[in-house]
Amino acid sequence: MAPVVTGIGLAGPTVGDPAHLLGSGVAGREDFDPASVVGKRGLRYKDDATRLALAAAHRALTDAGLLDDRAPTVPAGQVAVVVSSNLGNLDTVCAAAETIARESVTGLSPMDLPNASSNVVASSVAIWFGLRGANLMVCNGATSGLDAVRWARVLVGSGRVRHALVVGVEVDNEVVRRLTGAERLFHGAAALVVESAANAAARGVTARATLGRYERRAVGAVPGTGLWLVPERHATAAPPGVTPLDLSRRYGAASGALGVLQCAAAATWIHGGHGPTALATAGGPEDDATATLLLSAPGPAR
Amino acid sequence: MTGTDWAIRGTGAVASVGGTAPAVFEALCAGRTGLAPLRGFDPTRFRARHAYEIDDRPGPGVDVTGRATTWLIAAIAEALAEAGLSEDLADVPVLIGTGLRELRSAELWARKEAELTPEDLHFGTALRERFGATDTHTFSNACSASLYALALASDLLALGEAETVVVAGVDTLTESMFGLLDRVHPEPVDAVRPFDRNRRGVLMGDGAAAIVLSRADGPALARLRGVSVNCDAYHATAPDPAGITAAVRDAHDRAGIGPGAVDLLLAHGTGTLLNDEAEAVALGAVFAGVPGPLVTAVKSMTGHTSGGSGLLSLVVAVRALRTGRVPPTLGLENPVPEAAGLRFVTGGPASAELTVAQVEAFGFGGVNAVAIVRRED
Repeated sequence: MAPVVTGIGLAGPTVGDPAHLLGSGVAGREDFDPASVVGKRGLRYKDDATRLALAAAHRALTDAGLLDDRAPTVPAGQVAVVVSSNLGNLDTVCAAAETIARESVTGLSPMDLPNASSNVVASSVAIWFGLRGANLMVCNGATSGLDAVRWARVLVGSGRVRHALVVGVEVDNEVVRRLTGAERLFHGAAALVVESAANAAARGVTARATLGRYERRAVGAVPGTGLWLVPERHATAAPPGVTPLDLSRRYGAASGALGVLQCAAAATWIHGGHGPTALATAGGPEDDATATLLLSAPGPAR
Repeated sequence: MTGTDWAIRGTGAVASVGGTAPAVFEALCAGRTGLAPLRGFDPTRFRARHAYEIDDRPGPGVDVTGRATTWLIAAIAEALAEAGLSEDLADVPVLIGTGLRELRSAELWARKEAELTPEDLHFGTALRERFGATDTHTFSNACSASLYALALASDLLALGEAETVVVAGVDTLTESMFGLLDRVHPEPVDAVRPFDRNRRGVLMGDGAAAIVLSRADGPALARLRGVSVNCDAYHATAPDPAGITAAVRDAHDRAGIGPGAVDLLLAHGTGTLLNDEAEAVALGAVFAGVPGPLVTAVKSMTGHTSGGSGLLSLVVAVRALRTGRVPPTLGLENPVPEAAGLRFVTGGPASAELTVAQVEAFGFGGVNAVAIVRRED
């Protein structure tokens, strides 16, 4: 019952094709409109994080063969949604507090009410695609993206759902820039579909990578050979035989989106035949913990 | 998954009505409310002028950062003490459900009244400092967050990934959420009146709750028999009775019980026009044909403690199962027609032989969670 990745979707001005995750240098930027992926209808009052997440989710669900127009091809209660974002709705919250100070509550727009709740992205994805399984918003700091993938695995492993859609999303705006002090911020979303290997085989879809051991500890695990997705602001050199990949250098500080982006890169790398194992690590000495997740090549289909 | 049977070994709680789980329970049984004029916000900026706040600020109208974190740590420490566990959580997962994280601290930062770093928004940093915990997880799942955290804790035990898990919930009022709720209410809300025809809406409350959940046999305050979670996938803020009904039935299935086995129901009962109607419709469907449980809604005294509210209700349910006492629903005089068949506890506390309790929490976006707890014999 090993959990595997069966779908990958990326959305944003600097991401699109998963193969480009493995490139080097600062990623190029193109105009990106989420409506070009999911259509305009219903997007009007959605915040940026929600729009990007919807686009990435659409691509991952399509990639996994789970989407027909806006509805799942499998029973709606069998698809969970797990979203990671630390900063996605910070602008709405801060702007509302400032409006209240300036104009009182009469200056607020009622349309901002859903966006003031930090789970707006997870529930909006569920509503958009009609996904009625467990719906979880993870806001767990630097490790949040890898944590989200772990919880998707738990939801599948415990039998609550057969499929889990994981989305990591962060946005680049003035409030986030001021809080993080980061020179460059990731503005976009990465999404994965996680299900059991048996389920993937039964559906006839390709498993890109198997999700292995996860830990969240004070000190990160030492990578074996293979690809090593390093945490943000990582300074240590890689051991021999290890290929380091710093996605934050390529895409900017990605906070809660990083872990999901890392898993997308790792699954793409493994599926591309570059090697059998990849270790994703997020969170470093300056954070409350380091999370590690091992991805490996799927075994032969049974 | 069926067969859930975990020991609840310790409980902790902090709310406007009391600073420990026993104090909260006694206050609720006595019908004492935490309702008071707004303390931390400038009341002239709002139509609603009351809330259910914890009175721990340094002075009137002076707000400070990190209050939610403080209550969370107090509730966890209380639960660990009751469970007889040390405060070293280096090897124990800690799962936190919260609607609004430390977003109140972010608001103070945005208004240039306080410092903030991104690490302050979730609770892992403080939990590592106090308890040495590193397997910590902050879930921001609106008003069902802490019961969602409970479901995931139950799954960790079922998968053998942990022997003991600390589950907690916490929330404090944010100006943005308090203000936006105030903005959308048809008329200013002066009190939370769950299921009452004259309810005006919801007012927020401060609070935290924590439990220690364990696979091990041995002493337990009560036993967790099942937690269901689902999503309406219906509307960003309005609930769907169909989703709630499905969540309640799934919880019963997981616990291996029928609706007739439930003796006590801690309702979500927010006092909003939409929630109470949808919840009552769902309960009417689920408990059709059986006498149905005693029903109470503690938000009538604690206010809506958001993501922490589900676990706070669960802590109350554990004490109710142990003592046979049920707090009343304050301010419920004339139930809505949809709730006509429900056996509400009003006027004063009830006494009854209680074996099984059902605890509900529903959140924005249609995120539903229902827990079943059984008395330890």
